[in-house]
Formats: sequence, structure tokens, C-alpha cells
Amino acid sequence: MTRLYVDSDKFGRANASPVVEAFHSAMREIVRDKLARSGGHWESFVFGKSFDLVTADDIRGVERMLLDAGHRFDWSAAVSPRERPDAYKPAAGVSDDDIDTFSFEHPEAIVAQADAEGREQRGQGDNVAQYPQNCVGTARYIRSPALVLKYLQEGVPEDTIAIIDDSGGTLTAPILEQFRGVICAGGSTRSHLGILTREYGVPCVMNAKVSGIRQGDTVVIETTAQPKTADDYQSGREATARVWRIAK
Amino acid sequence: MNANKITYAQLLETNNLIQNHGDESYWLCVTRTVQESKLFPVPAYMMLSYLMAYYRYPSLFRKIESRMSAEELGDRARNMGMKITNPAMSYAPDFYLFGREWLMNMGVVRPTDAVEDLVYVMDFWKRFQLAYHRNDAHITNKEFGHRSQVVPERQLQMYHADMYDCKAGDELHEAAHAFMAAASQYGFLVSCESRISLHNDGPYKLDDNTQLIIRDFMDLAESDLPWLDDAAEGVEYNNITVTMAARDCHFYLVDDWGSFESTPEFSADKLVGVGLYCSDNLSDGHVPLGMGSREELIATFRRLTEQVREATNKLWLKIAGWSRDQMLDAGAITYFAICKDLAHVAGVYDPEDWIKVDERAERFRPLLNDEYSRDVLGDLCTGGNPTQKIQEYAMMQHGNANTRLYSLIPYAILSGEPYTATSGPIYPGITYLPQKKDVYTTTRGKMSYDEYNRLSRESIPTSLRPEFRHLCDTWVKYNAHSDLANALYTTEQQQSRRLRGKGAGLTRADIAALRKA
Repeated sequence: MTRLYVDSDKFGRANASPVVEAFHSAMREIVRDKLARSGGHWESFVFGKSFDLVTADDIRGVERMLLDAGHRFDWSAAVSPRERPDAYKPAAGVSDDDIDTFSFEHPEAIVAQADAEGREQRGQGDNVAQYPQNCVGTARYIRSPALVLKYLQEGVPEDTIAIIDDSGGTLTAPILEQFRGVICAGGSTRSHLGILTREYGVPCVMNAKVSGIRQGDTVVIETTAQPKTADDYQSGREATARVWRIAK
Repeated sequence: MNANKITYAQLLETNNLIQNHGDESYWLCVTRTVQESKLFPVPAYMMLSYLMAYYRYPSLFRKIESRMSAEELGDRARNMGMKITNPAMSYAPDFYLFGREWLMNMGVVRPTDAVEDLVYVMDFWKRFQLAYHRNDAHITNKEFGHRSQVVPERQLQMYHADMYDCKAGDELHEAAHAFMAAASQYGFLVSCESRISLHNDGPYKLDDNTQLIIRDFMDLAESDLPWLDDAAEGVEYNNITVTMAARDCHFYLVDDWGSFESTPEFSADKLVGVGLYCSDNLSDGHVPLGMGSREELIATFRRLTEQVREATNKLWLKIAGWSRDQMLDAGAITYFAICKDLAHVAGVYDPEDWIKVDERAERFRPLLNDEYSRDVLGDLCTGGNPTQKIQEYAMMQHGNANTRLYSLIPYAILSGEPYTATSGPIYPGITYLPQKKDVYTTTRGKMSYDEYNRLSRESIPTSLRPEFRHLCDTWVKYNAHSDLANALYTTEQQQSRRLRGKGAGLTRADIAALRKA
């Protein structure tokens, strides 16, 4: 059998991700096969014959192999499952269809009974910037361009605390300034969304671990807490702000 | 197979450059969070861009250098806020090396493949960086302890002298701050969620308690990026530079990816001075914008803020309607073409070179679903792939694992191990994006790319004229009284409100006194 250079790797170990391992194993098998068919001469194959022999169709077959075995891919961009619902895990909370019943449920969210002011802790996050007052508003999930478009057309309700799992700065770009506050389930205070909310003066917690907050709930972010700094992240120092829901 | 064209010394140096890049890129990767986006398939487009870089950069750099050397490009880069500073020139070798590493893990190439390309790419980068950094005499910000001081005294004096004071709550402070927020946000959108439209240089000491950071916002108008056609029609300037004085905080880190960190953390109340400029390779340095008076500057910041806000909304709506393949193309082009301004400066820009996906890279698109892309990118950036593991006694610079981000070239090629020289010429490219308009926004107006190339080839910045090119700050230190030094400085000062005709003899204290006068 034709052997590749990487087939005799003394120190390499398999990739931790089973998907990567499966894809790369399949790719190497394609290369072995095509190299053998081309006569086994690497120097004429690598930047010559391989361009004709290793084709997009071959590579498409790599993904098909996993899909045929029943695997469905995790998604990150909303467009991915929208275009290929057969290839990705189902997307929840990305449209009005199920937004009223959707909620983030993080296993490490700290929850507590309502205090004297009727505030139930429903999680915590990394405070981006400190403000004199805590931030109070109405929770609204925003997880897809379709929901941003809706608010762009209809206007963002004045008291919106956006609950987002996108730590980037582009999804909510046209409406970010209109949020009263942001609870972001990803990233850190150094992420693009953290940078932008600080620049716009919009109270925000990043890396938020929350549970049980539904669309329309009144929520409070402890934006009077100390911000989490780059030094805190590097030294592993814990510094979180609480997120409460006002008891119904 | 190949007659040995590569020397031992070349290999030693190339491997050193590769290793240094790997050490720093690992650190920069692990001290940031993974950038996710619900709008863009970010890891997928990053992976595609790495293949585009691997297959095309060697040919494109050779094409650029057939017209202008890497050293001259580096010299020119110091005096403009285009994408030939950081993070462009820091990222570019990473993209090439990540492409190589990924292909190796799939068995598609060996560490002994395209060796002459690899030696050339790293050498081109080294020569550029040494020239660009000649004033601080380092090759990277990393080597300088995460500091960036590329700008000469004469330019810093202009920034210092002409900057307007501001303080939290006044109109200029609000206008400048609003612009930087809006331009940052727009920059993320223009760059498909990446921060490569933004660059920070500095810090420079204005006094014992005040530091200057020079902030570039790049690729803002209708120009190279096809998705800005129409959406950014109303944006006047393609590259905008804001000079920013900050008091009571020290910028202890300005990295090669264009970010800064300070202690205490920089916040709006620490902003005490601003200036505003535009530039490109046709402008002969930085052109002041609205710097004639405080009122004019406030109005200019506000006008530009409105322009980028309007463009943000138009662009977002356009992108929200894209297919995944279009998003993949845009992101991959953003990354791959991060150093395309090299071609503009050299006057050899061709959109076919920079805004198409090379068909050799295109083959791999079917692999790039969200999950695989996320996982393989994570492994590449942290050394999780088999090729990135080295002998078990080894400890990497950061983290102590037996990991090397980028594989070195085996020295055995000098003693008979077969190797290949090059991945070959540029192959045709494809794109799912609409045809690019032939409109390029420059400091001399909007023009076609043919016209832009023609003017670029004719353009020689004053500071690059033979009599000035090698007059560095070390020379000025001993010759500030000379006619030649005065000519150099007065040329720079022609557009300065406070320094016009003042010459080379001024000290920083003199500038501070002029500001109070």
C-alpha cells in the first residue's frame, strides 16, 4: 500500500475531535489512493497531478461518510442549519416560532431563591464596565439575523436587555446601541461584543452562565460590580456580576 | 530531484522565523477567546483563507517584488495607515503557515514541499518587517516586549503639536469617542467579524503622564472589498487615522495583531487629546481632516460617524441576505487579502489575484462545515494536530507541551532528502460574490484600478526620495542644525497647523510650549 509521509509520524497523536480525526483519516486515504493511481511518484504528484486527481467530489464524499453514519454537525452561524437542515443539529431559539419557550440553561449557573427585593439569582457573568446603577430591563433573546432584522424594521423596545450567545460584534451591529443592556453567553470582556458595548456605554456581562430566563422576563444585571480585567483572566481570578430575574 | 539551491544558513534562518511566529501566535491565540459569530461562519472562512494563502502568497509576493522590494514597501508603510502595517503583515505568514500545516495533516503536502516558496515568503516578511520597524530596530512588537514605535520624530511632532485637547463631557470628546465606537463596529462588519480593519501603534510618550496611541481604521470605503460596493458609497475616506492622547494609564502591551492593553484599563474618561487624518499610498503621508479648528474637527468627526453608521446598516442588510458560500468567500477574502495593499503600493494590484478563491483551495470547501472548521481551527491554533507534536522531552515556549505550532523544514533536504520547490503559479479563481465594481476610493478621489495602479507606479513619497530615504532619527540626533534635516522636517510640516516651517530643531518641550501658546 502507498504510504504517506505522515504515516510514519513518531510523535503525532490522533486529533481530540472525532470529526477532525475522521475527516483527516479519510483525506489521507484519498491521497494514498490517488498517489498510487498516479504512479506513486510524490514529486510529480504533489503540485501537479494531485490538482486533477484530488477533486471537490472526492472531498464532498468525506462529509457524506459522516452524515450517512448518522452524524449531524454542531452549528455556529445561523445560515448553516438554515441552508442545510439535514446536515446540522436542529436550531432552537432563532425565530419567533419557539422564542417564547426558549431559554439558555447553563449547568454552572448559580441560582437562588428570591431576596427581600424579589430578585431571584439566575446566573452570573463577567462585567465589562462598571456603572453607578444596576441595569434593569426586559429579557429578549437574539440568536439569528432574522430576529435582528425584525428589530431593525420594528424598532428595539426601549427596555431591552438582549440575551445573546454570539460574542462577535456583527450580528447585532445595526441595533446594539439601542439595547439597555446585554447578557452574552459567550466570549470574555475582551471579545468584540465586550469592546463595543464598552465603547457605546451599554451595560454588559460576557461569558454569562444563566438559567431559566425566558423571553419577556424582567431581569437585573449587577453592573455595579467590578469589571473583569485581562489580568483577572490571565491569573484565573474569579470576578463575576450577578444576573437576577424579578420574581413573577 | 532539485539541485540544492537552498543553503544551510537560509534554512537556519527560515526555521527561526517560523518558530518565532509559532511561539507568538500560540500566545496570542490562547490569550484571546475563540471568536464566534451567529452571522458569519468564522472558523470555516478562516480555514479557507489559509489554503488561499498557501497556494498564492509566494507568487503574489514575487509579483509585488518584481516592481518594489520588500524593504521599500516597509519604508513606505511607516507613513500611511493602510493594510501594510500590523496586523496585516504579522498575520500574513501565519495564514501561509497554517495552510501548510493543515495540508500536511491531511497528507496533501509534506514538510519538505514547496521549500523555496517557504524560504522566500519568510524572507520577504523579514525584510519588510525590518524596514517597517527600522526606528525601533526590532522585527516584531513581540521582540520589543509588545511595543510598537515605528514612527519617526518628525511625524510624532506633527501629531503632538496639532492634536486638540478634550475631556470627558465636552463636544470634541463625545464626537471623537462616538466616531471610534462606530468605526470599530463598522470595521468588524467590513471584516466579517475579524478585527483586521483596526490597527494600533505606540505608545509614544507625550509627557510623563500622557501617552499617544495612533489608531488606524482601514478599508472603510468603496475600494477592494466587493461587499462595500454601493453600501459604502457614502464613506468619504478609505483609511482614517485617529491620534489619541491618554492620561493616567500606561499602555503596557501593543501586540502584533493590532490590539492594546493598558493599566489601569483605558476608558473614555482618560482620552485627553485627538487628531484626525486620512492616508494611502497616493497621499504622501497623513493628510489632516478637519484639523483647521476645534469646531471643524467636531463637525468632521460627526459627519464621518454618520457615514459609517449609514454604511453599517446598508452593509448588514446586504450580508444578512447572503448565502453561506458568499459569507465564506467574503471572510476568506478578508483574511487572505489582508496584505493586498502591498500590491497597491507597488502598483501591481489585480482583483483577480486578491478577491477570488484559488481553485486549488476551492476543492476543500466541502469539508468546511461549522463543526469540523471549529475543531480543526482550535487544534491548529493550540498544537492539537499530529504534525504539531515534537519529541517528548521538548517544552514549548508557552505552556511546556511538546508542541510546535508550525513544522520546521527538515535540514535533511541539504543531504539528499527529496523536496519540492514551489506550489506553482497562480491558478484561476472563483467567487460566489457579485462582480466587483471597478471603483477604488483613494485620497485623490474615486478611480478605476488601472488608474490607481498607474498613479501608484508614479508615486514616490517625499520621505522616500533619494536625498531623504536614509535620514533616520539617529542621523537627525547629530545633524538637526543642517539644511538637509530642516528640509526633511519642513516637508513633513507642510500640512501642520502649528509646525509649518519650524524645521528640525524643536524638542518635545518646545512642542508642548507651542501647544499652550
